[in-house]
Amino acid sequence: MAGESTFDGASSERRELLNVDLPATADAVADVSDKVAAILLDLGIPEEKQLEISLALQEALANAVVHGCGNDSSKKVRCRLDGDKQGRILIIVSDPGPGMEVNPTLVPKLSPNLYQDHGRGIYLIRRLMDDVKFERGGSEIHMWKY
Amino acid sequence: MGIAVDGLRQAMEEVLGSGGPYLVINLHEVPMIDSSGIGLLVKFLTLAKERGGNIKLLNPSKFAIQTLKLVGVLNLFEVVDDEEKAVASFR
Repeated sequence: MAGESTFDGASSERRELLNVDLPATADAVADVSDKVAAILLDLGIPEEKQLEISLALQEALANAVVHGCGNDSSKKVRCRLDGDKQGRILIIVSDPGPGMEVNPTLVPKLSPNLYQDHGRGIYLIRRLMDDVKFERGGSEIHMWKY
Repeated sequence: MGIAVDGLRQAMEEVLGSGGPYLVINLHEVPMIDSSGIGLLVKFLTLAKERGGNIKLLNPSKFAIQTLKLVGVLNLFEVVDDEEKAVASFR
């Protein structure tokens, strides 16, 4: 899978901690977010890092549900969580949508975007995680936290 | 997204709909705010200010403050730690 070279050197130690298909609903997002939070806690990851990963995951799942699935609960979002012994985390979220064009230069904290009620999700993910890549035309996001 | 954001939206719509442009939002038990929650806060801050009012955030968590700062909206809000004083300041 593209982008996973960032885990080179530790790839043999990396293990899959979660791999689920969830319906495109807010309840399912909350359920998976809770499961991932419990896994991060079990791994002994520091609280601040847990919060950053959890918020980035929620943003990615919400994007997949709203934009990738059009809030259609019959559609599925896939979420995979990998980790290694160093506490490094890789999250992959994919949806069945056509993908989206990601504007890497969009900065919501600059006028006139500041007072918009949307458009902060991807920016937040980029700021909260250490490395972020989009695959499959934007319908799959790979997020690393080291 | 979800119940938390829907509940916040409904509560703010009720307050602003009843003509009250002053809100103190207690965030004490909110560990994190996602982008939909931030969008809602900014949207209702704009509505409140258009009516001559304001929104104050009571006791947000350290992470919530960091998140609001990350997206550049922290300075739009007054952050307070005393509910009575915050409410009184609106009188």
